Amino acid sequence: MRLLKKPLLMRGELDYGGADKLGKRVEQPYRETTMIAGASVDVQREGRTPRRFSLDRAPELQALLVGFSALLGGDAVALGKFYTVSLVDKATNWTLTLTPREPALTKHLREIVVDGTGNESQCFSLHQADGDASVMLLGALAATKLADPPTLPALAEICHRIAP
Amino acid sequence: MSTPRRIVFVVAWWLLLSALAFVVRRDLVVDSDLRSFMPPARNADQKLLLDEIGNGPASRLLLLGISGAPPERLAALSHGLARTLRNDPHFARVLDGETDAVALDPALLPYRYLLSPTLDKVALDTTFLRDQLEQRVEDLSSPAADMLKDLLPRDPTLEVLALAQRWTPAKVPLTRDGVWFSPRGEALLLAQTHAPGFDPVAQAEAINALQTAFAVLPDFAAAQLTISGPGYFSVRVGESTRAQAEWLSAFGSLGFVALLLLAYRSVGVLVLAALPLASGALVGIAALILAFGSVHGITLAFGFTLLGVAQEYPIRVFSHRRTDADARTSVREVWSLLRLAIVSACIAYVAFFASGVPGLQQLAVFTITGLLVAGAATRWLLPAVLPVHFRDAAESRGLEPTRAWLAALPRPRWLPWLLFALALALLWLAPTPLWQNDLAALTPVPPALLAREGELRDALGAPDVRYLLVLDAQTADDVLRLSESISPQVEQLISAHAVDDVELPSRYLPSLATQRARQATLPNRATLTAALDAALQDLQFQPGLFAPFIEDVETARTLSPLTPAEFARSPFGARLEAMLVPRDEHWLGLATLTGVHDPAAFAALAASNAGQVRLLDLKAASEALIAQYRERILQALGVALLLLALTVAIAFRDLHRAWHVIAPMSLATLLVLAVLRISGVSLSLFHLVALTLAAGLGLHYALFFERKVENAAEARRTLHATLVCVISAVLVFGLLATSTLPVLRAIGLTVAMGVAFHFCLSILMAQGSQES
Repeated sequence: MRLLKKPLLMRGELDYGGADKLGKRVEQPYRETTMIAGASVDVQREGRTPRRFSLDRAPELQALLVGFSALLGGDAVALGKFYTVSLVDKATNWTLTLTPREPALTKHLREIVVDGTGNESQCFSLHQADGDASVMLLGALAATKLADPPTLPALAEICHRIAP
Repeated sequence: MSTPRRIVFVVAWWLLLSALAFVVRRDLVVDSDLRSFMPPARNADQKLLLDEIGNGPASRLLLLGISGAPPERLAALSHGLARTLRNDPHFARVLDGETDAVALDPALLPYRYLLSPTLDKVALDTTFLRDQLEQRVEDLSSPAADMLKDLLPRDPTLEVLALAQRWTPAKVPLTRDGVWFSPRGEALLLAQTHAPGFDPVAQAEAINALQTAFAVLPDFAAAQLTISGPGYFSVRVGESTRAQAEWLSAFGSLGFVALLLLAYRSVGVLVLAALPLASGALVGIAALILAFGSVHGITLAFGFTLLGVAQEYPIRVFSHRRTDADARTSVREVWSLLRLAIVSACIAYVAFFASGVPGLQQLAVFTITGLLVAGAATRWLLPAVLPVHFRDAAESRGLEPTRAWLAALPRPRWLPWLLFALALALLWLAPTPLWQNDLAALTPVPPALLAREGELRDALGAPDVRYLLVLDAQTADDVLRLSESISPQVEQLISAHAVDDVELPSRYLPSLATQRARQATLPNRATLTAALDAALQDLQFQPGLFAPFIEDVETARTLSPLTPAEFARSPFGARLEAMLVPRDEHWLGLATLTGVHDPAAFAALAASNAGQVRLLDLKAASEALIAQYRERILQALGVALLLLALTVAIAFRDLHRAWHVIAPMSLATLLVLAVLRISGVSLSLFHLVALTLAAGLGLHYALFFERKVENAAEARRTLHATLVCVISAVLVFGLLATSTLPVLRAIGLTVAMGVAFHFCLSILMAQGSQES
């Protein structure tokens, strides 16, 4: 991330409650719970007063979360509304690339890449327009030992990314 | 005059009137601001009241709802409508929930440390910065990171967001697809018109523009647009009043025409009967244009009603024509009484002029001019065009038996006194308050519309139109200081649920003193750099990332504090500008309130601020204002009655006969009042106008019955004329009395009942013609 000297590393749990319910719990290096229900987001951090804000204040954030939720829920129609979807697969591994349709979204987000094997998503990567990126390793991959600092190509390798 | 010459004369008269009508139509400017019917303000509070009624931001708000389609469609329609209306000259501001510029003007960005209260509680030191920077690291790992990245180097403590939050009203609707939605799933918008809320004509134009803008949006037909708000109500109420009045008047006029045909058996008479009234009305409007420039719509509507008295003049002339005298002689014989009636009516309307209310003064000028012109036309022009051949009204079938029956009726002397006592008793027993001070009660908004308004207002968190918190101080900055000092008390009222939200001016701009105090706490460059370096220890931010932040704080230290005038240039400046009003050497701060639950709770706030802060109840204040000027009208009417009695006494040169005229008129008016009051009617200005009109008609009946006549034929002519007048008035006003609208019912019922009472009492008490 361009503001930072080296990438941030966090560990935690994702909790998908169906439709528009999504929870994220960070356990390390600090503790934070984010709950998204409908249009409102609740953020609770240890030792601070909880915050609540509305997704509508940030349409680009909403598109992102709708996309994520549609992906987890397997809702191809909702996904297609916001993104053009391309899929490549090789043997049991696959890579799904989502490119946002709306100009408001492309201004910030270049693409979302999901890597998986069989029925399972393993990596969820956000590539932003300014070159910053975040990579989420899911399931078994979450236990992977990472280099310090981790680099994007190294992470792509771990995710078994298939170049388009 | 020979028949061809008479026809030429009538045609010339009509042409002259048509020419006048053309000029009047060209120059007539109809004004519709209801405040013309309010008295002029006498003090600062009343001036504020008149400005705020209809002109305040709350009363210029239209609340819009779009429903009946899927949310995405509604959102698209809402966006489309808002975009069109923002470019429409009728609207000052359109809000639909689209994330509008909460950001400060970039030039004003360094001012955030003077505007935000954050640093009142904590210092800009290592501890605070460390805590903030840790939170920013966490923010950067959240999906919201992208929105904050550009902001962070300049504003690591997110003061801009703190300000945006402070400036967001406490209650905002839910937003979906970037558009406000109500809990019922309709898209919501707020549109503020340039036109005052109580100018129905200008509001109608704005609403028309709004509906047109909606009707050209793609797929608009699938959804419904609901409009609400004070401006919309004034348009709707005006429309329904006009529609009913027009219908009833049309029926009334048809009945009147039929009655004239029946009474005089001549079409020519119809044409001639209209001439004096039309002349009076047109010259009356011309006089208004000359005297006032513009004419109020209500003046015209009421004026034509009041001028209806003048319809009696030609009727008297037609009924009193004799076969053994020429037209001029017949007219001259009734003229002395007509003249007396005209002068008396004019005296009564002078009372309206004395009220000082612009609308009533216009009404007086119009009616007095109209009556004088119609009278003069009847006296000097009408005789020249009366047909040579006519039927003597005295020979009408059934008239003599009626006259004989009426003349033979017993007239016990105690009966008027009994009626007088009865009227007093009824007035004493009346179950309701004497006066109806709420003008809106006479033109009520349908309950369904009001319920919708409540829902929309609640969903939008729109400010209350009735209450306003007024802060009174020497300068604009003093108002801001006062606003800051009462802020804790206001917060208490909010947490005690006395009110949902109060938008104080200091929410947007702190006083100069507060800004200076905040400036004084800002660290200098060296101190801040050291504190920041310490706070950044083992956080992974790029070196030198926060240089713009240090630069901004340094700038903020030396800025000259922001004045309201400078602040006015920012996106939120307009909001503050509307809240700070200069008024005669001092300044007022106007804080809007949302959801007032307990107005009484504000009394303590006012008491502890020595009258500098007060809750202005616009409804109560306008009612008090109306009560105050009604007193003046009543006094003026009292004086007018005395003058009228004097005029009649002088004209008759006989107190006894003057009493025969004044007594039935006064008693009939009292009886109308008594019947209205015992049936639970509270009186309004409209009732006073209607009573005056009825009394004017009653005066005619009494005057003509009291007239000494030589023979039974002349007595029959008097009865004929009076019957035509009474039946036509009861017909026209009786129809108005059937209206569902309280204002029309008030006028119709009062006049119709008044005419009937005046007629009966004149028969009973004015007996000049019967005695002879």
